[in-house]
Amino acid sequence: MRLKTIILIIMLIPLFLVGCYDKKELEQQAYVVAIGVDKTDEKGLYKFTFQIANPEVGSAIVGGGSQEEPKETVSIKGSDILTATNTANSFVSREITLDHTKVLIASEELARSGDFIRIMQSTARTTQIRRGVQILVSKEDASEFLQNINPKMETRPHKYYQLILDRAKETGIIPEAEIHRFFQITEGDADLFLAIYATNKKAKEKDDGYEDEYVAGQLPKEGGNNSQFMGSAVFKEGKMIGTLDGQETRLAHVFDPTLDMDDLLSTYPDPIKEEFRIGADYSQKSSPEINIEYNKNKPTKINVRVPFQIEIIAIPSLVDYSQNKDNKELLKKTIEESLEKKSRELIRKTQEEYKAEPFYWSLYIRKYFKTIEEYEEADWNKNIYPNAEININFDLERLEFGKMLNDSNLTEVRD
Amino acid sequence: MFKFLKKVQQTDSKSEPEAVHTKLDKNAQHIKQLFSYGLNKDFTFRELTAKYSQEKIEIYYYSSIVDANKVYDAIVRPLLESEGKQIRDVIVAESVKEITDFEQATEHINSGKAIIFEDGNNTAYSIDVAKFEYRGIGKAENESTIRGPQEAFTESLNVNVSLIRKRMHDKQLVTEGKQVGARSKSEVNIVYVKDLVNEEILKSVRERLDNIEADNVRNLELLEQFIEERPYSLVPTVLFTERPGNATSYLEDGHIIILMNNSAGCLIVPVTFWSFFHSPEDRYLRFLFGNFSRLVRMLAFYLTTMISATYIAITNFHSAMLPPDLLLAITASRERVPFPLIFEILIMEIAFELIREAGIRIPNPLGPTIGIVGALILGQAAVQANIISPIIVIITAVSGLTSFAVTDVSINYSVRITRFIFIFSAGFLGIFSLMGAFLAWFMYVASIKSFGVPFFAPLSPSYRSPHDTLFRKAIRNEIWRPGQIKPKDIRKKANSK
Repeated sequence: MRLKTIILIIMLIPLFLVGCYDKKELEQQAYVVAIGVDKTDEKGLYKFTFQIANPEVGSAIVGGGSQEEPKETVSIKGSDILTATNTANSFVSREITLDHTKVLIASEELARSGDFIRIMQSTARTTQIRRGVQILVSKEDASEFLQNINPKMETRPHKYYQLILDRAKETGIIPEAEIHRFFQITEGDADLFLAIYATNKKAKEKDDGYEDEYVAGQLPKEGGNNSQFMGSAVFKEGKMIGTLDGQETRLAHVFDPTLDMDDLLSTYPDPIKEEFRIGADYSQKSSPEINIEYNKNKPTKINVRVPFQIEIIAIPSLVDYSQNKDNKELLKKTIEESLEKKSRELIRKTQEEYKAEPFYWSLYIRKYFKTIEEYEEADWNKNIYPNAEININFDLERLEFGKMLNDSNLTEVRD
Repeated sequence: MFKFLKKVQQTDSKSEPEAVHTKLDKNAQHIKQLFSYGLNKDFTFRELTAKYSQEKIEIYYYSSIVDANKVYDAIVRPLLESEGKQIRDVIVAESVKEITDFEQATEHINSGKAIIFEDGNNTAYSIDVAKFEYRGIGKAENESTIRGPQEAFTESLNVNVSLIRKRMHDKQLVTEGKQVGARSKSEVNIVYVKDLVNEEILKSVRERLDNIEADNVRNLELLEQFIEERPYSLVPTVLFTERPGNATSYLEDGHIIILMNNSAGCLIVPVTFWSFFHSPEDRYLRFLFGNFSRLVRMLAFYLTTMISATYIAITNFHSAMLPPDLLLAITASRERVPFPLIFEILIMEIAFELIREAGIRIPNPLGPTIGIVGALILGQAAVQANIISPIIVIITAVSGLTSFAVTDVSINYSVRITRFIFIFSAGFLGIFSLMGAFLAWFMYVASIKSFGVPFFAPLSPSYRSPHDTLFRKAIRNEIWRPGQIKPKDIRKKANSK
């Protein structure tokens, strides 16, 4: 009996010795919500900016301490993200944890330099950075962008990123730009990857654009935050080659069945009174039909049919489109043509300027090849897509006019 | 060497019971010596001359445990007034037993009977005139239900048997008597339905009762510990219930019930985990309502064992799993707390256990103090003193509250001990070690058997049964009796084919 007890105790003692080896109390960690990466003058050395959330601000349970800032933004030079966190500990008091990072911000300069893909490698290797982190390209330096983010309504930074990115993605003006998708597309080496484009700096305002024909910085706005999230940065083979504006990004959502968009309110030209525009809610019940007819020696044909529905939400011209059958037909045709025209412009831009598409259409050509070698040989990126004949066909399946059919009769109101 | 043998022989002869003598004087002397007459205040005797035979008669009994009126009506008056040929013609009480030796006599006097010695007769007679005091039938207080019969077992064996017979009019319902204890012999009744019960299990129950080596087994709570297989195990294997209705439903399924004086309840064997998990109310409520209640209880079962441990594991090892808002809230509240998180949890869990223990033991008039003190420890005061963070209060409150939904007293202790095992294992390597501990615990519990029946049957191993485990079927669809106890008649519906 006594021997048994002794053996039991001896067996239990090691538990106390090895216990809790990777245990970390919550308050001993600093939670990074955004990581910024900038170029420096030296090659292989980058400036990393960490935006750290202050847990004490914004939680009701804690009395006092409200004088503190809601976030701390620190920059440090280093060669990769993780080692930089250790260097930053010389002035950040807690262990820097990247588990809760929401966005990874690269400056446009870095993104265009081609070094961006080198930085990204460590994000795939570490368990700390999630694959769902969004990639964002800022027009200015990432450190400057992060320093100047100052949301008025969300005190806590993570909430701000979470809300603005989710909502902007729902409207389709920025793309879904997860790290996972970045690697998927970049390593697939056939399509363009779209990253979120944002800035804190106002560029020259673009006054002639309609609701979504802007890139970040161009919005003619007053009040609110300085930060603008609009449009996307186009990456080809891990290197940024251009930007798409909000409308083009929305169209990319329409053509790419792997992307989701919930809300698309936009305007279309009024076919009868041309100085006005018609506001409509675009919705899509099914994915677009993408048919690729692969021809080895002559241009490939790509037929895209997009079935969609429209609910008219505003007719400022007060023209009767709902009851008048001819007008209705005309409106239908205008909307379809307007969408097709914009799409054709976007397609031309991708074919001529980028020589690749951001719609993930390479998924539909793969079935024509038996081996990967064959597929690589045919070269979707350089050969098939830029030369393809692309036929976009928008098909308005249902046109609704909201809950009121008639607008106010102007002649009666103003008699 | 021979001396030793001799001694043994002597003790042997001494243990042989002395027979009742023909002479009254000798009998009187002997019995007075046995019961320390004179010193023993309530040991009484009456002397009279019987009318029928004109012989001297002496009646011995304990005045404290017999009914004085009954002694007079059933014994004294007939002897003084009636005529007849022999004593049997005179005393016509319902239970008259002939006694030939003093050991029997002692036993009978101890159990509240009066012994009659007649001069010139070497047979004594025992008449049951016992009147033990007991509490009236009360409400079931520890297993409360809203619906269903409210009466509970009381501390009297006969009353308890009557409560069961009242519910089950079956000629096959047998109450088999057995005596346990060497010094003070206590009556134990094994109750079962003869054409349902599994003979193997019945035999095992009888054997275990026979094998009890104790001077005195006062009540069922002690008996349980004598008959269970594994006294050191974490989980109980005998069910104690104070509801006759509950007991009867087990009888109908072929289980065995053990009753005893001095216990307001009964023991049920064999039982499984599900017996402890179920409440009689599950059956008294309609199918959907009863199952909803079980679902809630299962959730409570899970929460009470796991919530503290999971909290420790996630916050200490897997903080990436927390939504950032919650993470920051917890972090903020912990900034001023001086202890590691596992210590915070332990402080509160132990405080809760203290309140619970004190709450049971505290005398009724002082009861309200527990509430006040408890609210201080488990509430805002502890948070304001920066000893614990507010979220811990919620965790402990949930963990404590859900433990009350585990109704059975025995399994409740198992669950509470388990909770501490899980807390420590979660503090060791996070979810990884918590899962390890859970698996080990689960395997251990699955290995337990109650009178040969696996603890998780009929879920695993599976048996033909009503599958009354986590959920129950609609009552009209219950065709089988639980197969894990192998009843003689497994079909429940006599008429259906």
